[in-house]
Amino acid sequence: MNKKRIQVNDVELAYVDEGEGDPVILLHGFPDSSYLWRHQIPALVEGGFRVIAPDLRGFGDSGKPQEIEAYGMQTIVNDVVALTMKLGIRRPHIVGHDWGAAIAWMYAFLMPRRLDHLAVLSVGHPGVFATPSLEQRAASWYMLFYQFPGVSEELLRRNGWRLFKEIMGRDGDYDRYLRDLARPGALTAGLNWYRANRSPEAELRPARPFPPVLAPTLGIWGAGDKALLEEGMSASGKYVKGPWRYERVEDAGHWLPLDAPDEVNKLLLGFLGTEQAAHEERRPRRRL
Amino acid sequence: MTVDYADVVIAGGGIAGASAACKLAAGGLSVVLLEKQEEYRDLVRGEWLAPWGIREAQRLGVYDCFGAGGGWEIREWMTWDEAVTEDEVEAVDMTRFIPGIGGPMSFPHHQVCELMAAQAVDSGARLVLDAARVTVTPGREPVVTYQTAEGPQEIRARMVLGATGRGNTVGRQIGVRMRNSMHHWGGGMMVEGMDGWPADVQAMGTEGDVMFMVFPQGYGRARLYLNFPTVNKLRYRGPGGVERFLAAFELDCLPDRGKAVTEAVPAGPLSVWPSVSSVPEGPPLTEGVVLIGDEAGNADTVLGTGLSCALRDSRTVCDILLGGDDWSPAAFAPYLEERDFRLERLDFGASIISRLHVEFGPAATERRRRVRKLMAKNFAAQVTGLLNMVAPEDVPEFGFSEFFAERLFRETA
Ligand SMILES: Cc1cc2nc3c(=O)[nH]c(=O)nc-3n(C[C@H](O)[C@H](O)[C@H](O)COP(=O)(O)OP(=O)(O)OC[C@H]3O[C@@H](n4cnc5c(N)ncnc54)[C@H](O)[C@@H]3O)c2cc1C
Repeated sequence: MNKKRIQVNDVELAYVDEGEGDPVILLHGFPDSSYLWRHQIPALVEGGFRVIAPDLRGFGDSGKPQEIEAYGMQTIVNDVVALTMKLGIRRPHIVGHDWGAAIAWMYAFLMPRRLDHLAVLSVGHPGVFATPSLEQRAASWYMLFYQFPGVSEELLRRNGWRLFKEIMGRDGDYDRYLRDLARPGALTAGLNWYRANRSPEAELRPARPFPPVLAPTLGIWGAGDKALLEEGMSASGKYVKGPWRYERVEDAGHWLPLDAPDEVNKLLLGFLGTEQAAHEERRPRRRL
Repeated sequence: MTVDYADVVIAGGGIAGASAACKLAAGGLSVVLLEKQEEYRDLVRGEWLAPWGIREAQRLGVYDCFGAGGGWEIREWMTWDEAVTEDEVEAVDMTRFIPGIGGPMSFPHHQVCELMAAQAVDSGARLVLDAARVTVTPGREPVVTYQTAEGPQEIRARMVLGATGRGNTVGRQIGVRMRNSMHHWGGGMMVEGMDGWPADVQAMGTEGDVMFMVFPQGYGRARLYLNFPTVNKLRYRGPGGVERFLAAFELDCLPDRGKAVTEAVPAGPLSVWPSVSSVPEGPPLTEGVVLIGDEAGNADTVLGTGLSCALRDSRTVCDILLGGDDWSPAAFAPYLEERDFRLERLDFGASIISRLHVEFGPAATERRRRVRKLMAKNFAAQVTGLLNMVAPEDVPEFGFSEFFAERLFRETA
């Protein structure tokens, strides 16, 4: 799949743009790229969608700023907003996996009018995360690991990236990730996603109220996910005002788009564009 | 005919050539890398990189190519061997020989070469795959010609590095002769599905008429090697060769009689070769041409230091090229001196290891038993074993005296 390039929000993004029809944006997570969606793209194109899959900043062939601040969630949501605006897309469906799912949720909070359907894979609503059970904390220990700036690049690279390999196991595109991460600046950029967004302080801060999600939302979780628990996704429904569907895929781990491509394709094709969005709540105008 | 110019033309994109291309391109020189393969394939080369070689890779700036190309740290060497009883088997911790480096690394050779070539290209080098009929005319302005699908090509350069390996394509053209000797044969193959084998553990030992090596690469993959006497050189050839090769790992000294290995699945070609050491008769260079890696001479592969040497050559020569404008043969004197010293030590060490571990039959087995006893009593007798962990210059001098070798063999005869 050929990638195009575009300058948005102070960064150059590489992205796949295939097909014609209602636009779907596919957002990958760590440490993937648009390549994660290689089984979904043709299926969605076949199903009559225009599919846009960017390499998010820091990954794949996109720009890799080295400062931590460049990876705040809002900045990345802005990348997606700017990308869709430049491509003349008003109201896309958004599909996200892993960090891409977190971005998709955030997009839904900030840009409710620029969102049609929302589909999130593996990572549930951040409200569920704000009060994580002990078990969940243990499962996401590896996120905390990335918190030592400077040291962890060296630690992860040491002994032929041994620690990284142990964390990753044989999941996802495991034998490809290192090739990507070994590119200049890529490891720091990838880790900065974690550093910018999951600092221990942020974990301790009290949960702030999240705006309700009005878009029809589909949550998918793989029963073999070693990093994230089912409750993170299944309990997300209570934050969704629009129609909510939860699907559990038995024969998949964390990397749903790779582990269960056919099932994920079926779920997406059976969901995107099929529901009516909940109407925005009317709130009394606030007086100053 | 297309005529081109480059500061340095490198013939051969193996570990030596590709790493040099990375370093020189990163240093700002214009580099053309000529590789005869159309794409990088498993040629069954060395895949066990000694800790001192890892340090060389770091200095060359190609370390990540190893990790990303599938490199796997091995931490322990279990001394499974017919001359070692079950309760004498030791786990040798290999992670502490060089501070900050860790254990040796086992890696898929061609994948790492491919990544290095890609890194060189990212730094501005030009990579030519499928480069055939490379000729080199030495001189102050050396000329390289080669053939591609587009026809004959010519490059005028300031320097040519010959890195074509044992084929000595460049060396022969500039009149560097090799003194070759052969002690035994070897074979190698990549396997997968070895999940029953501990991923941190390598084996290297002798039983019956084979010396076996198992170097895991993580994810159930491993590189297997066998060294065996020349009389058996046809044993692993022809139909069923792969099966016979795997079956040779059914050994009493291995856990479960080697089941984890014999039931593994081939994942690459099986290649069988005479294990040759080549020492150059004169200096491996001339005006405008310097040889590096196996092409400049190599010790028996039994030692597992060819890769480390290739990287050391590459680094030393690149440092000279990047360090100043004098690229005359005289400027490479430090390289030649260090290399002679190194090869002499490695050649000497390899001949001891070959005699001890790659000779077979009751007398040889008895000798191995006695050598082990001697080494257990006198730690200094293990000096040769250091040779594949630390750089040759860091191994104590006495290990390289005829006196030491003579005594070792006399006392254990
Ligand atoms: C079976 C085996 C096992 C070994 N085990 C170990 C080990 O465990 N550890 C270790 O350290 N060493 C080991 N060695 C030695 C090690 O593989 C070599 O020392 C090392 O590969 C040398 O690197 P090089 O780049 O000089 O040559 P090579 O690896 O031979 O690379 C030469 C490159 O040049 C290309 N080429 C050849 N001719 C031409 C031409 N005419 N034009 C253009 N390109 C050309 C080839 O395709 C190749 O890519 C082993 C060797 C063998 C054969």
